[in-house]
Amino acid sequence: MQVLRLDGVSKSYPNGTVAVQDANLEVGEGELISFVGPSGCGKSTIFQMVAGLSKQTAGEIEILGGSTGQARRDNAISFVFQEATLMPWASVRDNVALPLKLRKLPPKQQEEEAERVLELVGLKDHAKSLPRQLSGGMRMRVSIARSLIAKPRILLMDEPFGALDEITRQTLQEELLSIWQRSKGMTVLFVTHNAFEAVYLSNRILVMTPRPGRISREIEVDVPYPRGEQFRSSAEFSRFVGLVNESLKH
Amino acid sequence: MNHSLRRLLYRVGPPLAAFVLFVGIWEAAVRIAELPTYLLPKPSDIVKSAADNWSRLLGSVSTTLVETILGFLFSVVGGVLGAILLASSKIIERSIYPYAIVLQTIPIVAVAPIIVIWFGAGVRSIVIVAFLIGFCPMLSNTLIGLNSTDKNLKNLFILYNATKWQTMWRLRIPAALPYIVGGLKISCSLCVIGAIVGEYVAGVGGGQGGLGYAITYAAMRIQTPYLFACGLAASVLGIAFYQIVNFLSRKWLGSWHESEMRGENE
Repeated sequence: MQVLRLDGVSKSYPNGTVAVQDANLEVGEGELISFVGPSGCGKSTIFQMVAGLSKQTAGEIEILGGSTGQARRDNAISFVFQEATLMPWASVRDNVALPLKLRKLPPKQQEEEAERVLELVGLKDHAKSLPRQLSGGMRMRVSIARSLIAKPRILLMDEPFGALDEITRQTLQEELLSIWQRSKGMTVLFVTHNAFEAVYLSNRILVMTPRPGRISREIEVDVPYPRGEQFRSSAEFSRFVGLVNESLKH
Repeated sequence: MNHSLRRLLYRVGPPLAAFVLFVGIWEAAVRIAELPTYLLPKPSDIVKSAADNWSRLLGSVSTTLVETILGFLFSVVGGVLGAILLASSKIIERSIYPYAIVLQTIPIVAVAPIIVIWFGAGVRSIVIVAFLIGFCPMLSNTLIGLNSTDKNLKNLFILYNATKWQTMWRLRIPAALPYIVGGLKISCSLCVIGAIVGEYVAGVGGGQGGLGYAITYAAMRIQTPYLFACGLAASVLGIAFYQIVNFLSRKWLGSWHESEMRGENE
């Protein structure tokens, strides 16, 4: 089943900058797709448009057969930013429960769901902590837990692990994969400029090039999940990374 | 216990010694130079005058205190509500905020007589003067706070279909709290000034009059020691008021905001 379709989508600004030019894409249910490219290639802009935070200047975006606005109203989309983007005055639990609180669901349900997703990211014991008491990696986990609480059909992740150290980053990559595999059909779109990360996570990689931002190449990573630690050191892994890096240079 | 006592002494000792030294030199210098009391009273004269007029002084302080608190409360409520109103619509903000700035630049002493003409001499005018002087920093600080919410958090609220009111209540107001507290700190000391200025102009503000009235009265009769006592009382009032606000600020922000976090890197 197709969950997202971009048809000739462009975004240009009044000053003439073309952030995205003629992006075409079809995403099936349960895919994990990475957008790889240098800064300024329009990866984030595509995400903003899919999330309905910014409007394309040409072309059409269809999500689950409807508009971006409709998808948002149906709570089908969730977003994880590069920063954890937590409310510093609220506890971990309150931060995580925010999407449900804004929908005015019963407090009991909010609490149960918060507990469920905090367990998913291994932060059950920190529900009462404040964000500043957590490490960068833990804060990102909170952010991911919050994005999962509303059980989104599509999860947009905009360089979520970019600010983390390598070890934390790899741990979170594995956790993301395990959450995604258990999610029964959640589609994940992931922005990164790290070729290793893209290859390890995704079933499909879209390489983007800047000025103007275009999807210049599509790479299928036909390696079955679960991939495990040994995949990172396999010859196949290196070959895919090489392929991505090579496409980035063109 | 012993250790903490030593630390306390270490902290309080030097400024206390400097104070004692300063007062001692003052007392000795005035005695040696034989300056007349009406020109520069000795510290002992000031203490004596305060002790002799204790109930009068206390009455003045409490009158000013009540006026200050009333003016402060009105300026906090008015400033915060006003800022929320301005922040909820760009049009309203653009049309009204410039005038709020103008209001801030009008010297309060210049408008105080008009207020007395409109509202009559007495507590009402004094509270209004205190309110006017405390209102502007509250309004502008709160407004800046409401308008400087993190962009990603705002996007997040949009993404989760938050209503305008939810965004205001759950995001913008808590995020503005550090700014609001900054406003409180400015406006609480200004309100003390406002109340005293109000009393200069509006006279007796209930009972036997506040500090401002006592000061004008003592100045007219050249009761310099009592004038000093009143000045000191006004300072103590201002400091105490500021400290209370400071305490509240630590209580509200201590757990999460940089400005009030203490002791972690020491």
